[in-house]
Amino acid sequence: MQRSFRRRRFNLKPYLFVLPILVFAVWFVFYPFLRTILSSVSLVNASGEILSYVGLDNFRYMLEKREFKAAFANTVTLTAVNVPVTVVISLLLAVLATKKRPLSPVYETLFSLPMALSMATISLIFRLMFSPNVGIINRLLGTDLGWFEDESTAMGTMLILTVWMGVSFNYLLFLSAFRGIPADRIGASQVDGANAIQTLIHVRIPAIMPTIVYVVATNAILAIMTSGPVMIITKGGPNRATSTLIYMMYTSGYASSNDSLAACVSLVAFLLAFTFTFLTLFLDRKKVKAG
Amino acid sequence: MIRHFRSAITQLMSIAVGLVLVFPIVYAVAGAFKTPAEFAVWPPTLFAESYLNFDNFRYVFGHSPMWRYMLNSLITASLTTIVRLTLASLAAYAFAFFDFRGKRTLFLLILITMMLPGETLTITNYRTVSRMSLTDTYLGICIVSFVGASQMFVLTGQFRQIPVELRDAALLDGCGDMRYLARVVLPMSRGILLTLGLQCFITQWNSYLWPLLVTGRDSMRTVQVGITMLTNTEATNYEVVLAGACIAMAPSLLMFFLSRRMMTGTQTGGAVVE
Repeated sequence: MQRSFRRRRFNLKPYLFVLPILVFAVWFVFYPFLRTILSSVSLVNASGEILSYVGLDNFRYMLEKREFKAAFANTVTLTAVNVPVTVVISLLLAVLATKKRPLSPVYETLFSLPMALSMATISLIFRLMFSPNVGIINRLLGTDLGWFEDESTAMGTMLILTVWMGVSFNYLLFLSAFRGIPADRIGASQVDGANAIQTLIHVRIPAIMPTIVYVVATNAILAIMTSGPVMIITKGGPNRATSTLIYMMYTSGYASSNDSLAACVSLVAFLLAFTFTFLTLFLDRKKVKAG
Repeated sequence: MIRHFRSAITQLMSIAVGLVLVFPIVYAVAGAFKTPAEFAVWPPTLFAESYLNFDNFRYVFGHSPMWRYMLNSLITASLTTIVRLTLASLAAYAFAFFDFRGKRTLFLLILITMMLPGETLTITNYRTVSRMSLTDTYLGICIVSFVGASQMFVLTGQFRQIPVELRDAALLDGCGDMRYLARVVLPMSRGILLTLGLQCFITQWNSYLWPLLVTGRDSMRTVQVGITMLTNTEATNYEVVLAGACIAMAPSLLMFFLSRRMMTGTQTGGAVVE
């Protein structure tokens, strides 16, 4: 009754409620996105004005740049290593912490503490910690590595940093997912004689699959967008070993005012992120259907 | 007996793992109390000799406008949080309580903004903001973060749980929609608003790239940008850098402990992620 009454006449009110967020979404999300696409196929001057259509010339120019090849390869490596490692470590932490024990509050706090640190803080700390001159890591591990300052180890060190930055928060997501599994589901498998590891693999992990998919997707996007630590610690070096797509976008767009190149690079990063999210969701759906 | 033993082992192991995990934080705090001489020692040490040596903190506050940085961060993070939650609440109210043409489309349109990572949009947004002469202003730092699609999504779900009859009754009594939203709906959603607000605040407090881009004057820099500038001018003062890092993480750590109870509760965290 009431529903049909409400529908009969046009009501402007709900649109007014949605309008403010929509204005900002168009202004600072949709417009810049479309503008980026436009810039990528146009000649753009140093103050950002579009001069003429040039087709795919900008992309061709980008593909020829050694800097782009390095940034692309680094971003893919970073994502391919960071995501599985982060997921496995945060899963293990969650497994360790799921059951409430007397000391739970202590290690639960320790596990989630890194979450409170900002990217800039973490970058400053890691730069010093891994410094071959004054850092403590070489001393503790008894190694003599250059870490961020050596071309062969810089990317690995960057990975340690990004993984460390991500595990806490994902651990919390996994922890609440594990704790949300109904007790009788775990109990049933224990009655069947399954040990802890079998229960984990066959019951608990499948039960939190949606959370795992979510964590994989969000971490992949975060990894593809990595730029802050690069900017603060290595400036893409040594010898482009840690340059990433977004870092290149930043240097070409902001520092060299080449908006077309920056637009192309950011579109590549976007496409990577989009493909990855799409694949994750698609695979997940398939698996759900098959199961 | 064996069960107890195993439980004790697991707990000790967990604490050991936890200590490895927080090592960088310990390192930073300890290092912030070191003297330059202690930092120059070979081999490097972890702990400082005295934890009453506040010289580095004094140096940071004396040689950089750190208070101003903190004030800037506080203002921009608060402004963003308030505006973002306001816009999200308004939209969520419409999606939860009204039926209108294009409702689904509009809802999806706003959610799609989550698919477009802010980093890929920075160059154009920088052009927009500088054309509006908003560089080096608080509004310029905040304006690109006003859209909170995930907050809107969570709030829509939250508002839907409030019985429609309540609103019908209130409107019959002559209460307007804005008043109903402000006086009934928002107070009833206090808990979730607080969680979303804290998360939003911390994210903004911690943001780096955009504030770095849109601020040129030292007096407009935020804490996160400011602490990285300490290294540029004082390349060798490691202990000062760590003191800066400690100053920057102190407020977020404080908030972390305040909000821990909320975050580790039974609610599924996945729903409220940025």
